[in-house]
Amino acid sequence: MNLIDIRNMSIELKTGTKPIFAVDRVNLTMKEGEVRGLVGESGSGKSLLAQAIVGVLDEKWRVDADRFHWRGNDLMRLSPAERKAIISKDVAMIFQEPMACLDPTTTIGEQLEEAVDVEQLTGFFWQKRQQRKQAAINLLHKVGIKKHEVCVKSFPHQLTDALCQRVMIAMALARRPMLLIADEPTAAMESTNQGQIFRLLASLNQLKNMSILLISHDLENVTHWTNNITVMYSGQFVEAGTTEQIFNQPYHPYTRALVDSSPKANRMIPNKSRLMTLPGSIPILQHLPIGCRLGPRCPRAQQKCVHAPKIKNFHSHQVSCHFPLKDSYS
Amino acid sequence: MSDVLLQVVDLSKVYKDKNYWFNQKCVTALEPLSFDIMAHKTLAIVGETGSGKSTVAKLLVGAELPTTGHIRLNGQTLEPGNFKQRCQHVRMIFQDSGTTLNPSLTIEQLLDEPLRLNTGLDEIERHQLIRETLHKVGLLADHMSFYPHMFSGGQKQRISLARAIILKPQVIILDEALASLDPSLRSQMINLLLDLQQQMGLAFILISHNLGIVRHFSDEMMVLSKGKVLEFGKTADILQKPKHKYTKKLIMSQRFQLLYR
Repeated sequence: MNLIDIRNMSIELKTGTKPIFAVDRVNLTMKEGEVRGLVGESGSGKSLLAQAIVGVLDEKWRVDADRFHWRGNDLMRLSPAERKAIISKDVAMIFQEPMACLDPTTTIGEQLEEAVDVEQLTGFFWQKRQQRKQAAINLLHKVGIKKHEVCVKSFPHQLTDALCQRVMIAMALARRPMLLIADEPTAAMESTNQGQIFRLLASLNQLKNMSILLISHDLENVTHWTNNITVMYSGQFVEAGTTEQIFNQPYHPYTRALVDSSPKANRMIPNKSRLMTLPGSIPILQHLPIGCRLGPRCPRAQQKCVHAPKIKNFHSHQVSCHFPLKDSYS
Repeated sequence: MSDVLLQVVDLSKVYKDKNYWFNQKCVTALEPLSFDIMAHKTLAIVGETGSGKSTVAKLLVGAELPTTGHIRLNGQTLEPGNFKQRCQHVRMIFQDSGTTLNPSLTIEQLLDEPLRLNTGLDEIERHQLIRETLHKVGLLADHMSFYPHMFSGGQKQRISLARAIILKPQVIILDEALASLDPSLRSQMINLLLDLQQQMGLAFILISHNLGIVRHFSDEMMVLSKGKVLEFGKTADILQKPKHKYTKKLIMSQRFQLLYR
């Protein structure tokens, strides 16, 4: 059974004149125990999508979807309170800058104890305090922090970035979620620390069968850690498939350009040669092109591209393009 | 081509804690290091935070005074504190271009400032030069009357680049200038930098932790850790046969992500 199943989700910014579709009909499905990468450049609406799943968007945004199922439950039909109950029990999210997300005025221990689920504590009321403390320490052990005595007493600014991110993950684990949404967990981190965090997430995925939605702006960073990848561009669905399919045989011109433009991925290209790029830059929200939003930058664009393409499915490799690069690989 | 453009001899930096008279604590940010750069070449400096790579950049542009050592440009010593001489030849691009551009000035005023302070050109010549420079970095002359907030991230980075090359420098220091850009903009920027290097014979000092870019972009590289130079040599050699344990770790942490695909 699919853990989460989203069809044609649109997120609309309410404005005075006409609404702007910041996310335009995006599909996302995840199975249990899957690690899925959600890749897109800044402004492609990937964080918005994550926030819409967790349900933390405010009044300015309107979320609409043809289908939004969580383990078979239709979330669109439930009332906001019921939806919140389901989501807050099973979904947790970690954010980009761990230092900025932790409370700088309280110690790590107190913040962790706050996150501990009351229902997991068994015992009489005089035992609860001790149990809560123990639960916080256990959480720290789970994310691989062995020196818990020092850690619980320290404030966020006394820890390094990677340790803070571990603490964030520990808090996210407090309610034993089934899905962890990691919104650029390693942006602005050293490469050695990045490896630590990714390894921790991978081990959680394997040991606890926790699904992870890994959001990143850089395709090359996530490829090693994901089973499947969904690519977005400017709020539109581009391509989805297994990591090998996306990386070795991208069907969409945009994914192709992403793969080609990373110097790390193509180890064959000679030193100091020109890299392949798309012309121009990402359109801003006020001036979105009609139809396929890649249109003005796309090397294969034709007249047909002013209409948004339908999603084509080649052996569970979905691509949203009128002229997929399918033939060029056979 | 074979003569040395920038020569750095025994450059080091020690920070002193001024609070105590007795048992003054010294923090060695950078131990003595020496290197040469030719025109048309790129030197990459790699290391973790706190390894002293930003200190090198600050010393080279003159934002900090070196404790020992000196810097020679074309055989001429760059005096510490003589910014008139230095800022014409050594320019720097910062990581976050959005915050390094003055939001209350138009692009023309922004680019006019270094010209007014450093050259004797009159208004028409300056205007012409700004126009040409903008064209060189792939922007239009119309953009002159725009303010920084009207540009996207990639265009802002181009403006910082225009500000760096407008005085026709010989050395440009890129302090993590490519880190915060999106992948497609980053490769555009790399192409632009490579083109400019060909045309103007610039020498780049690239400070980065993305080894993919370093491999593609640089001729020589230097690995720093805790202020010490661990390895220094041709980029291809170091990446193929790293000698030091730290370098191996650094390469492994980035390479394994893709190698086994």
